[in-house]
Amino acid sequence: MNKEEFISSGLLELYATGISSPEESRLVEECLAKYPELREELNQIEISLENYAQANAIQPSALVKKKLMDKIFPEDKPQEGGAAIVTIQPPNSRLFIFKLWAAASVIFLLASIFLNYIMYHKYHDANEALQLARQKMDLQDQSNRALKEDVSVMTNKFAQPVVLSGTDKAPDAVAKIFWMKNTGQVYVDPTNLPQVPAGKQYQLWAIVDGKPLDAGMIKTEKGIYHIQKMKSFGKADAFAITLEKVGGSLTPTMDAMIVSTKL
Amino acid sequence: MPQILKYTEEELVALLKSNDKRAFEYLYDHYAAALYAVILKKIDDSALAEDILQEAFVKIWNHFSAYNASKGRLFTWMLNICRNLAIDTLRSKSFKNQSKIQRSEKAVDFISNNVNEKEKFDALGIRIHLDRLAHDQKQIVNMAYFEGFTQDEISKKLDIPLGTIKTKMRAAILALKKILQPYVE
Repeated sequence: MNKEEFISSGLLELYATGISSPEESRLVEECLAKYPELREELNQIEISLENYAQANAIQPSALVKKKLMDKIFPEDKPQEGGAAIVTIQPPNSRLFIFKLWAAASVIFLLASIFLNYIMYHKYHDANEALQLARQKMDLQDQSNRALKEDVSVMTNKFAQPVVLSGTDKAPDAVAKIFWMKNTGQVYVDPTNLPQVPAGKQYQLWAIVDGKPLDAGMIKTEKGIYHIQKMKSFGKADAFAITLEKVGGSLTPTMDAMIVSTKL
Repeated sequence: MPQILKYTEEELVALLKSNDKRAFEYLYDHYAAALYAVILKKIDDSALAEDILQEAFVKIWNHFSAYNASKGRLFTWMLNICRNLAIDTLRSKSFKNQSKIQRSEKAVDFISNNVNEKEKFDALGIRIHLDRLAHDQKQIVNMAYFEGFTQDEISKKLDIPLGTIKTKMRAAILALKKILQPYVE
């Protein structure tokens, strides 16, 4: 078979389309070796078929290429477009989450400071009220105890009440003495004495065998005049109260006698 | 040499022999769609066809040293790999069980609307002109080139004598060449 006969036989076309039998293929390859010009003829046939295939092309999904490239070049995976987006995104979202946390923390801190401020004020107010209540309770307790003492003195079965009447100096003044007959203890009730002038203090005297003896200073601090314990006397002829300088005098100032009695 | 190539075929082959990644990407970008269409002629299932396409390109990359330029063009070699993988899949037991074997007639007038727009190669324009190709000529080329039927099978299916296949194929390809010529030059 010469060159022209071979070309027109169609064997090259069968060979190019892949349907030549093994014998035909062998024959084609022999002829290709013998006539190198046939190679160009075959090349042209292949180009025509290739262009025909290209004209019928259908794009596969883009995922095929990505999967293929990942499979063949796995070491390049992080640098590839699709993956690059993934590597850029996490820092962004991490930054976003960090910002979110930071904002939440600041809000929490401010709220906490505000609440602390309110709570501190509430605590302060409550503490103040408590202190006041305690003080008030202490005072009440004090006066309660004093009152109890007063009552216990007045209701004592050995108590002998002695009334001291006002003198010319203070006609309205009254004082009371509770004299315990069993012990000789003297209590004085200054409730109805006039208010003591500044720098002065009431002093109780017991007249024993015609002589005035100091029976103790009467406490009237803070304006409270309550029954109080004085000195003890086994016997006494009379009692008197004089207005003396603070701390008392050795002998009574007679013209400053407020109340007195004779037993 | 189709105009769509930036590399000459010799350059591309030399780069692929040296395992050049960019050359491989170029190879995929320029031939995957044409090869995918070939696989789709045999495999009705596009997901399965894409798997075969991927497998074919892995094979092309891993066995590129087996390509012998003196025996034919690169595309012809790649098309054979794809066609054989598709046929192997069809023959595989698991595929037969799915009974998804495609009837050959279905693929004869196969035309796609989905082409790579970036390509200068005017596939749509060519397709319009390919309509000028006689139906039986298209059939014979498609069955042999795309679908890998044997001469015997083509003879039976198209009801033409075995001895005339050679001349009919030659006539068909000559007609193809005439139609495609303005787009290639």
